[in-house]
Amino acid sequence: MSDDPRLRPLGRPRPVDVRTDEAGEPTHVRLSGRTARRVEAVRERWRIDDEWWRSSISRVYLAVVLDDGRPVTLYRDLLDGRWYVQKGE
Amino acid sequence: MSEPRHSAYGVPTHPAVGWDARGKTSAPHRDAEHGWSLSGTFAEEADVARGSRQALCLWLPTFELRLELVRSPGLDAASVALLSPGESVRRTVWQVSERAHDAGVRPGQIVSQAVSLCPTLTLLEPDPAHYDAATEAMLEVLAELTPVVEPAGRGRVFLGMDGLGRLYGSPVRQAERALRSLFRIFPSPLVAATRAGMAPGRFGAWVAAASARSGAPVIVSEDELADFLASCPVSALPVDPLAIQRLERLGVVTLGELRRFPEPSLVAQFGEEGRDALAWATGRRIDRVRPFHRPRPIRVSLDFPVPVGLAETLHGALDRLVERALSRPTRRGRSVAAVRLGAYLEGGGSWFVETVLREPTSEREKIAFPLRGKMAISPPPRAVETLLVELTRFGAPSTQTSLFDRREEGGRAADGRDLARGEVPFSLKDAVKELKLRLGHSPLYRVVEVDPWSRIPERRHALLSFDP
Repeated sequence: MSDDPRLRPLGRPRPVDVRTDEAGEPTHVRLSGRTARRVEAVRERWRIDDEWWRSSISRVYLAVVLDDGRPVTLYRDLLDGRWYVQKGE
Repeated sequence: MSEPRHSAYGVPTHPAVGWDARGKTSAPHRDAEHGWSLSGTFAEEADVARGSRQALCLWLPTFELRLELVRSPGLDAASVALLSPGESVRRTVWQVSERAHDAGVRPGQIVSQAVSLCPTLTLLEPDPAHYDAATEAMLEVLAELTPVVEPAGRGRVFLGMDGLGRLYGSPVRQAERALRSLFRIFPSPLVAATRAGMAPGRFGAWVAAASARSGAPVIVSEDELADFLASCPVSALPVDPLAIQRLERLGVVTLGELRRFPEPSLVAQFGEEGRDALAWATGRRIDRVRPFHRPRPIRVSLDFPVPVGLAETLHGALDRLVERALSRPTRRGRSVAAVRLGAYLEGGGSWFVETVLREPTSEREKIAFPLRGKMAISPPPRAVETLLVELTRFGAPSTQTSLFDRREEGGRAADGRDLARGEVPFSLKDAVKELKLRLGHSPLYRVVEVDPWSRIPERRHALLSFDP
């Protein structure tokens, strides 16, 4: 997909600051250029393990609602341990 | 000016509860954008669009419980607890009367625990429609005093008071006037319990109101603000709670103690939160009161001839109500971002659930589905006499849909999905031609499917340069 210069991928994940509690659940999210917001609710969670035959992908997704009402989709990359935010999910 | 009291029963420990992003976000360099002014003077002219620097906070603690006690005066001498809304499996206590508090009942306790502590406890179901109506009435009355009225949750409101001195007199008189106006909608006990605080900025006004006694407004002038805040606990800061916890563990209890640290040290320890905390603590950051603009919700309701408890009937009614709400001309093509489902119940009382949609939509099913889920988790506690749907927040309306109109067909292309060569509307071709003349290339892209069924979101779609 990236071979064609006219093509630009949509919905690429971006690193995000996430604070977690002792159980590893996100409690605060700081989106780029904003202050940290409290996670009001986790609406959904699911896991993706794919492409093990080339560059393996292993993610735990969480659809959360922040305390200002903003819905955000996050995932924790189980390979590098970092959190990402992703649009279009 | 009295010293802040923060041990008052029922006082929230964090003043940012219910505030929007303006009051607690962003680094100082973005202050101008967010309406904060680090160097402005109190003598600035009132500017409604920028908000009001001088803030008056009116706060009625345990607003909802007090409304219930006004409705049922016989409960005044009883131990009363208001149940939290929106839960059905593990009901918890939301607000408690002083008598119940004395018996050991606390907000957040589960019902069985509360009843075991206080066997005579009277439990009340919440009535959100009643509380919202009281809040609306409060805002309407206060809007007659000043055009800058900003609600901050039920029972707490900020008023912008810039430029009102000539009209109402000294700050004390202004606060008293605001309190007196509440007599028009609330009975005396409720007005008497309302606390008022005036200071530059919402943070200062909130701390002043939290430290005020009923009927005795606390007024803090520009010069007094820093000293006034010094005795305020760090838990009042509108910053990340984890930063507050760390400060307390380090023995920094008051804002006065926090101010002793140099800014670089705080930034080194806490990052931007440290800088923010210092700006609040020193009174350098003044968050203006902004006039509250809320889109008028679209409300539709359905009265049942007999009270209904059957979920299937309610689901059918919900679908019809969502359709009716979407067909209202007042929606003006806007998509829906948040929706509320409510009911008036048999025997009195009300019930509400609310959902923020994952993405704004105008499709009935996408709106009704999450509401049905909420209803299954938290069903109406009694049979429903009237079901109502409120579209409360909207997505931005599309302003350039005419670009996608096909003149030949007189209709709109299906979301632009079939904009292959030869099918591109003339209006869009013209627009692209103009953009190319101006920029040298087409800045438009088309969304194309790459691997639409991929489980990995970034593999599904891409933008393809669009140059018809």
